[in-house]
Amino acid sequence: MILLPRGNPVKENIDPGKVDLAGALGKMRQGKFTGYLRFDFPDGTGVFIYQEGRLISALYQSERENLIAYDGIARTFAESLAGSGVLNIYRLSTDLAYSIHALLHGEMLHKGQDLQLIDIKSLLVRMREDKSNGCLRIYSPEHIALIFYRNGNPLGFFHDGSTEIETTADSSMSVAREPGAKVDVLVTRGNIETSLADLMETADVAGLWDNALTERRRQREERESTTSRTLEMKESERRQKALALFQRSAQAHLGKLGVSLVEKEFEKMKLNGGQLNEALLSGFYGNLSKAAKLVAGPSKIELMLDEMKKGFKGLSK
Amino acid sequence: MEFQSVLALFWLIAGGVSFYFSIGNARVWTSIAVGFFLILLGEIIPGAMPFLPGLDNAYVLAMGHIIGTISILVMSHGFQEYYVFTRTLDFEGSKRFVYLSVLGVIAASLVFLLINPTPTEEVRKVIRIVENTNWVFLSLINIDLIRKIYLNVKDTPISNGFIAFMVVFACIFLWKGSQLYIDVFNLEMIKDTFPLRYEISFWCKNIGNVLASITVGGTFLYLGKLLR
Repeated sequence: MILLPRGNPVKENIDPGKVDLAGALGKMRQGKFTGYLRFDFPDGTGVFIYQEGRLISALYQSERENLIAYDGIARTFAESLAGSGVLNIYRLSTDLAYSIHALLHGEMLHKGQDLQLIDIKSLLVRMREDKSNGCLRIYSPEHIALIFYRNGNPLGFFHDGSTEIETTADSSMSVAREPGAKVDVLVTRGNIETSLADLMETADVAGLWDNALTERRRQREERESTTSRTLEMKESERRQKALALFQRSAQAHLGKLGVSLVEKEFEKMKLNGGQLNEALLSGFYGNLSKAAKLVAGPSKIELMLDEMKKGFKGLSK
Repeated sequence: MEFQSVLALFWLIAGGVSFYFSIGNARVWTSIAVGFFLILLGEIIPGAMPFLPGLDNAYVLAMGHIIGTISILVMSHGFQEYYVFTRTLDFEGSKRFVYLSVLGVIAASLVFLLINPTPTEEVRKVIRIVENTNWVFLSLINIDLIRKIYLNVKDTPISNGFIAFMVVFACIFLWKGSQLYIDVFNLEMIKDTFPLRYEISFWCKNIGNVLASITVGGTFLYLGKLLR
């Protein structure tokens, strides 16, 4: 689960499978959007970060995978088209957008430091003195809090359960006091503004989207084909059972000539994998009855057909 | 006269039953039943009822033999159709077509007789020999054909009916074979020289005739019961 500040909601609870994502990303670019798109899927989360219309970061994270840039975009597209996803779009300040990038992609300066063994106040002072850009992630077994920094100054505080960026450190710092609390320090070095490339410039997003659509269509066709094959197999099995039932009945009433008549009339229906229904069988019974008149009387034929009809109804249940 | 009347009665029953059977059953039975019905028309009425008016007419007598020939050809065709059905399970045509075809052939035969010289007794004897030859050989062929049909339909409700047909054709073979023998060797003219042969042939012919009429009627009644 990726914890991110919500910022200013632009769109919430959209089904990304019903959106032309390549087109939507294009519009973000044209609109000089700053903020991020968050895709929540049953098995993972995708995050696209925009800074003034530049797609500066893309990530897809799940328990097993951590895909970035083009791979992250492609995977997010694929998961979106698979359905069961939710897309939320939030506007952020430019600084916060960079901080989120740092949170997701930054260098891990300290990882899992026990807050009882570290002087958090000194750490914050050092962040300010070093004019660090990045994020402090403070977490206990129960809670998590984020403090975003820009040039050593805190931009905002965010913790799970809050809906907005907070300007005071109270709630976030309370996590630090919880037993077993730890801290990760993530920073970005150098001039981050110039180092981040616009993924939409370097990647063929429309191509990635088309590939995802093609793959999705292929999967759907394959699934439909499998379903159709399964249905065909079931229908074929039903046909075989019906034929065997009719043959048994004909054998009992008309002997082996009756069996041959059943086979011939069954063949004449030209099912070709189609469904065996009452309308088709009505013709079958009629033809069989006509042919059977050459070797048996109406009462015997009627008895045989009744047996067949009852048997077939039993098969259909 | 009494024998002829009994014979006529038997054939009337057999003809009636077979004609009725041809109406109420599947198309493939039509040719067979109509064939047996024609025996009544063509052969028995002139032979079994010599007292009927107009029966000394040469054309009526000649037509009797021609209808007899048509009779065995039609029923043989019917058995062939049935055999084909048991092998291919296909059959086609309509009852009306069978009735009309038979009527057409009879009408064409009548026209053929009328446009030719009056059939004398000698001519009629030749026609009768042709008729009986057809009966004799087609009876044998039909017995074999019916045997094959029986094997194909052995476990159907109708199967025993075909055994009865074999008996029918055995009787017809006896009847028509004896008549053919008498005609070919002209035994009636020389019966004093060969009395035993003539007597045996004569009684075989009559007994075969009676048995044929009984078995035809019985067979169709039996078939009617089987196909009820």
